[in-house]
Formats: sequence, structure tokens, C-alpha cells
Amino acid sequence: MKKLEFVLIALIVFSSGCQKQNDSRIHVREGVASDTLGSNIVTRPVVHAFSALIGEGIEVTQAVTRRNDAGFLELYVNGHNKSFGTKRFRYRVEWLDEDGLMIETKTSVWLPFSATGKSPFTIKAVAPRPQAVNFRMDTRKWE
Amino acid sequence: MKATVLYLIVMVCILATGCAQETTMIDTMHDEGKAVMALDYRDFDLAASKMVQSMLGSGALKKQEGGRYVVATGRIINDTTQRIDTDQLMVKIETEILNSGQAVMTSAIGSGSDELLLETRELRDSEEFDPDTVAKRQTLIAPELTISGKIFQRNIRYDRNKQQVEYYFQLKLSDVKSGLRFWQDETLIGKRGSSRSVSW
Repeated sequence: MKKLEFVLIALIVFSSGCQKQNDSRIHVREGVASDTLGSNIVTRPVVHAFSALIGEGIEVTQAVTRRNDAGFLELYVNGHNKSFGTKRFRYRVEWLDEDGLMIETKTSVWLPFSATGKSPFTIKAVAPRPQAVNFRMDTRKWE
Repeated sequence: MKATVLYLIVMVCILATGCAQETTMIDTMHDEGKAVMALDYRDFDLAASKMVQSMLGSGALKKQEGGRYVVATGRIINDTTQRIDTDQLMVKIETEILNSGQAVMTSAIGSGSDELLLETRELRDSEEFDPDTVAKRQTLIAPELTISGKIFQRNIRYDRNKQQVEYYFQLKLSDVKSGLRFWQDETLIGKRGSSRSVSW
């Protein structure tokens, strides 16, 4: 009996490993895509529990700034939600001038954001002053 | 007897003081207070921040021929069940437009107008004022763009015990001469809570 369970799990593991990866620009969600270890009805509880145990969360992969046509600095923060659940959090962007000093603006407030589980996300922010050359960003839990 | 009465009075006073709710200042930078069904300052901060970023990011305020646009604030309709001073939203947006360096706001006309601008012009015939210090005719600058909008609310019964309240903040920026709309956006703030809590 135990042998049968082992074979079943091994089959799932191998079949997940052989799965063809989608184009990274397209996110095919659980229930639509083929099963993976994280979505399979047998292995899901273990994988989700493990993910929660090690405390998987948001990972920021890249922060890109560019100056738009109107002369304002735009910030794009790209990241990935590594956990299985939706991560809701708040973020605040503060803008810095060329001397590294903070520019006080009404837009530097805590804004809510929500990232789908196991998905990439992008946060966009626009500096309201042309003097902004850099930024700093803070996050906190969404109560 | 007197001592007992006095003792009781003192005890009642002490207990009543202990039960009184303490007044605390809100830490607006890190407010961890619970969300409320009505609109509070955090909602206006959020709406204003998103609107300003959208407006400035769109480039609608950048004058092609150089210089700065003159912008007037038009009517902001409050179509919610709450008594809202729409300046709570517009002052933040006007401040950021001014500070962006791309436009100036006018106080001569619109909902942000200053009565004294016209009142001081009535002093032209007064003998009490030096005529050189009174504003001349045809010196006011007409607005080139106007901002107008609406805040409205929808109450939806979610289930037996819960209600959903949706607040929509809509703003549009129009060119006075051509009537063309240069920019518009909407921010939605949705809240779900007990149907017993009121949103006004």
C-alpha cells in the first residue's frame, strides 16, 4: 500500500517536472493551468504549509526609473509574490532631490497594493516634482 | 454617615474617571486605526495621491509652447450621503499642481475664487486709496484649463449582515478654448462592513 502511495507521489513530482513552462509574460492560474506540486490536490496542503512555514512573501526583483515626457521621474518596481496567497500590503514612496534631501509632497502617503499569489507584480509611482532624481520606498502590512 | 457618603462620592468619581475614553492624537504618518465605513482623511489622501500622479504622469499639464497653464477649479459635486467639503480633496491636488511648476491656479474665478480680488477692484473710485496701488482694469488672467469632478457613493447590500459601500472619485481636466478634455481619471475606494454601521 505504501509502495502505491510512493509511486503516486513520484509520478506527480515527475510529471510536474516535465511540465512545459509558459511564456513568462502570461500567468496561467491554478485551476486553469496543468497541476503543479503547489496546485495538485494531493501535494498542495504540504507545499502550501511549507511555503507558510518558511514565510514566503514578496520579493522585489527590479526598480526602474525613467523621466517621462512631462519631465517627471517615474518609478516602476517589479517584483514577485512567492507565496501562494494574495499578499496585501501598503507602500509609500518618498522622492529625493539631487542633494539626497526628501521632497515633501502630498503624494507620499501609504497606498494599498495587492499582489496575486505566485505572480509577478509592478508598482508604478510618479514624482510630482521635476526636481526628484531618486526615491526611497517603504512597505508595511495591510492591517 | 457623612464619612460613608463622602467615601462613596470619591469612589464614584475615581471609577468614572477610569472609564473615560482617553483622547489621543492620530499619528497620520503611521495610522494603524481601523478602517471606517465613511470617508476619512486616509481616503482623501489616497484619492488625491492617485489623481495627482495620474494627471502629472499623463503630461496633460505640460504646455507645448512653453510657460505655465492657468488652471481654475470648477465644481466638484458631492453626491454622497456625507457632508464633505470637497476642498479636502481639491486643496491637496491644487497644491501639487502648483508645486509641480507646470501650472498656476487662479483665485479669480471658480470654486477656489477669492472675493477680495473683486472687492479690492471696487476701490478704484475711493479717495482713501492710492490709485497706483489699486489693480488696473483688464489685469486678471483668464483660465486656460478647468478641473471639475464628482464624488459619489453606492451602497450595496452584500449579505444579510454586511453592506458594501463604493466611493467613486472622478476628475476631469478640460481646455477652456476648445472644450476638449485633456485628462480624466477615476479612483474607487470600496469598503465592506456591518450593515448596522452607517456611512454618513
